[in-house]
Amino acid sequence: MTETQITEFKPRFMDWTAARVFAMKNLKIAMRYPANLLIWGIFPILWLTPYILMMYAIGGGSSSINFTELSGFNDFITFALIAWFVYQYVDASIWSIGNNFRWEQFSGTLEPLFVTPVPRISILLGAAFSDTLQTTISAFVMLGISTTLFGVSYSLTMIGPILLFLITMVFALYGLGFMVAGLILVFKDPSVLTQFIDNMIFVISPINYPLKVLPTSVRYASYIIPSTFAIIVIRQLAINGTIDIFLYLIYYIGLLLVLAFFWVVGIACFRYAERWTKQRGHMGGF
Amino acid sequence: MSENSEIFQRMIHRKGVWAELRAANALAIKQWKVELSYPLSVLWFILMPFLWFIPMLFAGSAVAGGAQSEAFFDLAGTTDWISYVAIGMAFSGLTMSLFWGTGLALRREQNVGTLETLMTTPVSRSTLVWGSMLHNLQHGGLGVIMQLVVSTLLFGVTLNAWGILPALLVIALAIIGFQGVVLTLVCIVLIAKQGWMIVEFVSSSLMLVAPISYPIIVLPSVLQSLSVASPLTWSVDLFRSFLMYGFNAPGVSFALVMLVVLDVIYFTFGLLLFRATEAYVRKKGALSQF
Repeated sequence: MTETQITEFKPRFMDWTAARVFAMKNLKIAMRYPANLLIWGIFPILWLTPYILMMYAIGGGSSSINFTELSGFNDFITFALIAWFVYQYVDASIWSIGNNFRWEQFSGTLEPLFVTPVPRISILLGAAFSDTLQTTISAFVMLGISTTLFGVSYSLTMIGPILLFLITMVFALYGLGFMVAGLILVFKDPSVLTQFIDNMIFVISPINYPLKVLPTSVRYASYIIPSTFAIIVIRQLAINGTIDIFLYLIYYIGLLLVLAFFWVVGIACFRYAERWTKQRGHMGGF
Repeated sequence: MSENSEIFQRMIHRKGVWAELRAANALAIKQWKVELSYPLSVLWFILMPFLWFIPMLFAGSAVAGGAQSEAFFDLAGTTDWISYVAIGMAFSGLTMSLFWGTGLALRREQNVGTLETLMTTPVSRSTLVWGSMLHNLQHGGLGVIMQLVVSTLLFGVTLNAWGILPALLVIALAIIGFQGVVLTLVCIVLIAKQGWMIVEFVSSSLMLVAPISYPIIVLPSVLQSLSVASPLTWSVDLFRSFLMYGFNAPGVSFALVMLVVLDVIYFTFGLLLFRATEAYVRKKGALSQF
């Protein structure tokens, strides 16, 4: 690097080249452990099956009158599996994107990374891109195995609208990931914090049960989670193959608002955490 | 420390069960001190049992529409599915604490650089595992108490007070069999190093085939056979039977015999494997490798 390059360097809000390079670096590492993609497709099945078996035992089959009245769907296995598929992206945003700098810290590369003239958000976004790709593979492995195991199927006629919602949700979740990354910079030990956030979101999300089961105040909180709108709409499209266009648009606008909210709050939260950590000299501390 | 000093002589000549118990207790206290120094860990410890149970409660309510289910009676012998699931989940919290906390205990020591130091102390190697087990028993046990008390107060779970003592006996018996599982997990972690995936797979699989939130009759026949061979199945079944029906719980004699038989098999296997693995790891000089 020449002196001119250094003196004329102006910090940018986003460096897409850095994001791409960082994504490629993470993907190269991930490709060294291909079995992980399979393992992360299988573990969720071990976690979702107890819910399905419990509901089966309580309902005496894969449906119940009460469940149909509350959810509008006949079969809770079909109802739950597609939501678990979507939830894999939430898990990834919390565990992978949120914890990304922690992994760099363990590798001893966090401080060198932070002295590069690149916006931190670009680095996080790069990590997010590579995690999204890995999660997509694992989530499809999960969906493929679980639909075969439980003998359910979904409609593919509305794949376009489903993809639109899924991609928008993934971008909204990046904002959540930035927020978690900021929290982890401050609190360091990510295990408890990450588990706590993950479990809280899981409880208030309509994965195994419809939102109507939740208390009213909790139901409102659920709509702040980017995945809630996506789970509701994708489930409707994947099971029934149709949705009221007006409802679709309303939910999509809702998702866009959540996206804007999480990006603004997530970036602000991360920048504040970075400044706070730097001022105290805690960046490399464990 | 000089070899002639009193402390050194006392330390080097220590022996017997009492000495090992004191060492195990010291390890348990040390782990409490570490955990309590992280406020978020304390908060997680309090909330964790409920964050696992509440989604089950919501899912069950969505299907049943109330606290009773006739369909559940046909499979589990009780209509009170909430008590069934709450007690099962409370026991699963204890199991998770034992499997995860103890299974990865030596790995944690390795990460903080104290494993070799611990291995050179005149303490039985298995006491290192027993000490962690003791801590996780206290940790998980407190979680069970909290979850059952709150479930009784908030969710209408009914417990039979006469069943508390026999339920404690079940925990004592369960620990023996679980120790066999945990010792096996420790061996895997010592050899594979990053063994958390194995711990996750083994614990999740054992939980899946155990009657924690559903009777095993809903499982495919292959998984039912596996379930019968797991000490967790009989432990959770006995624990719940005593807490729901007291001394006169149906079918407990056979379940007790099965648990004792499996305890002997699992514990013997785990102990032999642990001794062999420890000798192997030492011979390879891989104790402190990451």
